[in-house]
Amino acid sequence: MSAITPTSTSTGLPARVWNGTGVVRLRREGAIAPIGAFVVFFVVYVIINPELLTRFQLQTAANLVVPLALVALGQLIIVLVGGIDISIGAIMSLCNVVFAVQLETMPVPVAVLLAIGTGLACGLFNGFLVAYGGLPAIAVTLASAFIFGSLAREVLDRPGGGITTEIYLATSGELLPFVPVSLVWLAVVAVLLWLLLQRTALGRHIYGVGSNMESVRAAGLNARLTKLLAFGLAGVITSLGAMMLAASTVTGDPRSGDPYLLSSIAAVALAGAAFTGGRGSIIGTILAACTLGLIGNLLFFAGVNSYWQYVISALIIVAVVGIPVVWRKAAFFAKGARS
Amino acid sequence: MTTPTPTPSTTAGAGTAGTPVATGPLGAAPGLADGGPGLPDGSAPSPRGSHASFLSRVPRSVWPLVAFLVLFAIGGIIRPNLITVDSLIGTATFAIILSIASFGQTIAVIQAGIDLSVPNTIGFSALAFLTLVGPLGPVGAFVAALAAGALIGFFNGAVIAKLGLTTIVTTIAMNGLLFGVILLAFNFSELTVTPDFVIAITSAKISVLGISMPAVLPLGLALMVVLQLVLSFTGWGRSLFVVGSAAETARLAGLPVDRIRITGYMLSGVLAAFAGIVIVGYYQQASATMGASYLLASVAAVVVGGASIFGGRGSVVGTVGGALVLGQVSTLVTVLNLGANIQQLIYGAIILLVISLYGRRRAG
Repeated sequence: MSAITPTSTSTGLPARVWNGTGVVRLRREGAIAPIGAFVVFFVVYVIINPELLTRFQLQTAANLVVPLALVALGQLIIVLVGGIDISIGAIMSLCNVVFAVQLETMPVPVAVLLAIGTGLACGLFNGFLVAYGGLPAIAVTLASAFIFGSLAREVLDRPGGGITTEIYLATSGELLPFVPVSLVWLAVVAVLLWLLLQRTALGRHIYGVGSNMESVRAAGLNARLTKLLAFGLAGVITSLGAMMLAASTVTGDPRSGDPYLLSSIAAVALAGAAFTGGRGSIIGTILAACTLGLIGNLLFFAGVNSYWQYVISALIIVAVVGIPVVWRKAAFFAKGARS
Repeated sequence: MTTPTPTPSTTAGAGTAGTPVATGPLGAAPGLADGGPGLPDGSAPSPRGSHASFLSRVPRSVWPLVAFLVLFAIGGIIRPNLITVDSLIGTATFAIILSIASFGQTIAVIQAGIDLSVPNTIGFSALAFLTLVGPLGPVGAFVAALAAGALIGFFNGAVIAKLGLTTIVTTIAMNGLLFGVILLAFNFSELTVTPDFVIAITSAKISVLGISMPAVLPLGLALMVVLQLVLSFTGWGRSLFVVGSAAETARLAGLPVDRIRITGYMLSGVLAAFAGIVIVGYYQQASATMGASYLLASVAAVVVGGASIFGGRGSVVGTVGGALVLGQVSTLVTVLNLGANIQQLIYGAIILLVISLYGRRRAG
């Protein structure tokens, strides 16, 4: 990337303007394609179903995509440090049931803290084995997927728990007309995460560890600690997604996280993140999650069998991830032919 | 992608073992894969005495079988009535079905990939088979279902090798696509009758050496032997290991890497499709989500079987051993009445144990 970017932006003043608006960074992080895909998707959606912009539908749609967006952000952080989290669905299930069960007896803040603590502990467990044990992330998280999944069903073996209407309203209701609370929570998390990743040393280390582990180590930074903290952070964000899901469905369910394993990876892939690490953007991930999460709804309103959503999601992922690859290859060959 | 920088292989000494590999376990485009050239077999020997070198020479695929025998003996100590041929056959049947579902995964892992489309390939082939039995007859439907598996594998392999997409992303997308196709294309209410042909090769009891067992057991073992011979003794099988351990080296050596990759995924797809037919024959039921439990279980069997998740290492015999270990744990848990949760917990612990023994070795 760094070899390409200077040439495409070395045209003087316009380049500096583009730099100032962060477009270059978005491009470097692979976010242009998913943002474009979302804009197209959103326009199509509103044309087919203008009702989306009514209060009720906006709220329903937001509740649908926010848990996926949060879990995808958790997955993104792991992917940024060059790993992948197979256990993310199980972590989500575990936090979900811990939250729901604790609400039966504990005050709300305690339950929230316990759920976040559970996510943190799961993330640190994975992170410790990956960073200090030197084990491959995919194998570690495969093992912990079994472990966390069994713990979740140990905590609560069938859907239930003590989630009340007040909690539903606090997470999934409306803050103001046309402003679903869940979107506000997502925005808060996203902005804090953006500040952490782009404006703190830890955040830059996370990107650094993913793009070049050896350089980070040679620069005297603690690459292992960075990895450990990245896994912990991902666990915390996943637990937030789990609570949003529990609250919006008003139940705790020990299998609720299962579908999010594949869909969180799909969203991160659609966001243009590099699975070798070091590249991926927050806004791209959120918009990718929105696109994937709302395809089923769109098809419903378009009068198409909503089972098509699985086919269309797959095609969107391959198209959005694949077209830039084909484009680069074609450009490379064209350049080669010219010189 | 990233600009060329000093690669890990030049800087990673013994002191930094492990972590460089962990940074890019799977997604790596060939050139970005971790630096270690890693021979297919025989990691760099570290002579620490004859004892250690003897142990390191034992093929990895033996260890899961040893672990299975130990677990079998433990079961016998806890409940002496578990040491029977029937109990062994029961565990082995469970294990061989999991193995058949994991053979394709083994092929994918050996070539440094992973096939997350196994679950819905199983479902798709099973349902396609049941749907086509009417018009095509059992053998025709069987061939058609395997061909569908090959086609699925071809698309996976072509996207991975030619477009350079990450294996995880490609196979997840394929898995999702197949789920949609399954829900759209099949009429579930009509698919209740399992043809006799499949029952005959799976759940029907046959007698081998005077021992009665389901037909799927000798079938699975025969498949294991054939696949192991192909992997160990054919040029294509050996080149699969080379591509898995050092794709760039293989390319420079003139191997048709893309073609090996694509045919590898095609074989993986065919095997998953075959697993679908076996599962439908043995359990005599089919549903849209029938493959879901094999997503993690197939990778688990491969990992417990001693394959390296980085590629270039693994065997179908080991995978059967891994499945036997998981199967025996399942039997013990059932006998001791501990519940499915404890079983999953033990699966996780076993995987952690195995990767802590094997996972780092390649970086050393």
